[in-house]
Amino acid sequence: MDQEFMSKMETKVDAPATLEATATKPERGAAAMQLKDVSVSFHGRTAVRDCTFDITKNRVTSLIGPSGSGKTTLLRALNRLHDLTPGAKVGGTIMLEGTDIYRGDITVTELRTRVGMVFQRPNPFPTMSIYENAISGLRFNGIKKKSILDEAAESSLKSAALWDSVQSRLKVAASNLSGGEQQRLCIARALAMDPEVLLMDEPTSALDPIATLKIEELMTTLKERVTVIIVTHNMQQAARISDDCAFLLMGEDRAGELIEFDTTEKIFNNPIDSRTLDYTLGRFG
Amino acid sequence: MSDIVEIEQPQDAGHEMRDEIRQISDKFRARRQLRSRLMVILCGVALGVTAIPLGLLLYQLFRRGLPVILHASFFTQLPATPTLIAPNATGGVSNAIIGSLVLTAYAAVMAIPIGVLVGVYLAESSSKLAAALRVISQTMAGAPSILMGLFAFSFILQDLHVGFSAIAGSFALAVLMLPVIVIASEIAVRGVPNTLREAGLALGAKPHKVSLKIVLPAAVTGIVTGIILAISRAIGETAPVLLVIGGGYINSWKPLDPVSALPLSIYENAKSEWPSLRTEVWGIALVLVVFVFVLSLSARIWASRKQQAR
Repeated sequence: MDQEFMSKMETKVDAPATLEATATKPERGAAAMQLKDVSVSFHGRTAVRDCTFDITKNRVTSLIGPSGSGKTTLLRALNRLHDLTPGAKVGGTIMLEGTDIYRGDITVTELRTRVGMVFQRPNPFPTMSIYENAISGLRFNGIKKKSILDEAAESSLKSAALWDSVQSRLKVAASNLSGGEQQRLCIARALAMDPEVLLMDEPTSALDPIATLKIEELMTTLKERVTVIIVTHNMQQAARISDDCAFLLMGEDRAGELIEFDTTEKIFNNPIDSRTLDYTLGRFG
Repeated sequence: MSDIVEIEQPQDAGHEMRDEIRQISDKFRARRQLRSRLMVILCGVALGVTAIPLGLLLYQLFRRGLPVILHASFFTQLPATPTLIAPNATGGVSNAIIGSLVLTAYAAVMAIPIGVLVGVYLAESSSKLAAALRVISQTMAGAPSILMGLFAFSFILQDLHVGFSAIAGSFALAVLMLPVIVIASEIAVRGVPNTLREAGLALGAKPHKVSLKIVLPAAVTGIVTGIILAISRAIGETAPVLLVIGGGYINSWKPLDPVSALPLSIYENAKSEWPSLRTEVWGIALVLVVFVFVLSLSARIWASRKQQAR
């Protein structure tokens, strides 16, 4: 099926020509998402542009770069979270399994059930219990059957490595959990929808080192079932957990742009662009 | 980098200069302390000016009101009608108590759902309609309450040909409560962090579901506080009900019966020619104040419990 899909893709999408090191190399698996000339602007002012790369299935792709380079802006384009921002415009094409997510045959709500998201600060719903938080996405999408909900709650909390510690207090308000547990609950909440892609926007920046470590461990196991795209400020984190890496930088007109995309190993050890090297060595940013 | 500029240090800033700086700052600090003490005194005086009239009011209310309400029949009987033969006949205000409860209850049933939904809409939408509704509700909040009475009189009594009734008064009170609830709900909903909305949207929830299932529950404390405020205001209003409820001397819960109300009976008793009725005024006022106090106190307790539970 993947091959069929790939051949379909080739006729539909041109391989990015400007960047040498993009993801059309043969050793790569199938692409979960493909970005071509993606740009985002707010009220006519470009925030990020020229982003062309493939996100390979079952890998962790990290977006790195200094503040203002448009990492989060780019990430939020991938589940159309800019839709409700007045004046926001997304250019280029973003494909999810061969479907153009902005113009193709997919509704925004369906897209978001297939592309989940975890935010910078843990944001469990404060009026809901742990159980209700875990299955909130299913409920929003009309699933009411208790047996399904119970099963989804258990399996998603297990996947987020939270089940053992909350099993006995599922009815307790989610705000009673620690910051790290809350963030894992948010991961469970996203996983309950069984998404193909999971977007993570600096998911550990508000957490202490131990909670961070737990989330990082979680990510490396999660990639077996879901493709992970993570924005991070922390270069060590990107080096530790990601397989592929996109480096963005703010251009002279203050718009972010893609400098380089490659395997994390290449980006950190042997990048093509000298700015990438400067950044990963901590010379700026 | 090689081009680090070396900063030239002045040869000797000198003890004199440092001493001068110290002297000036000492003087400045002394002056600031004096000013700070003056401000504390001023605040104390302002507090006294506010507290004394309030204290006197409560003292009067209890001194004159308590003997009236301790009278056994005050809560259970209809108002007395003093005659020349029995000028000191004492009755109760059961009709006004029931009337006030009925009026406020019906008004709340009408105003709360509409007010909360409009408030949520105003906070979540940036349409022109929302902007217009906001201006209207702010204007309504500032309008004199007799206007609501006039409106209810012309609309319910004259246009719809409903007689003097509880429902007409409730309508007037509902119109009075509406902008208070709308404004409070809008503020409460706006206070809900945007990250919660995004969390809902990112799970594939439709915007209206996000508003109703995530934002509204998160804003409920502020909304309920606004509702209690609106009820407290409505229960004490005379003007809107004056023209339309008919001041009925019966105990009735029915919406189409004429009823009385606590503030209305204060007004009527106060202008009565019989001293026995005039003294009752304080009892009625005390009941009214206790009503409002209990309402706002329970709202506060509920809100703080809710806050702690999070």
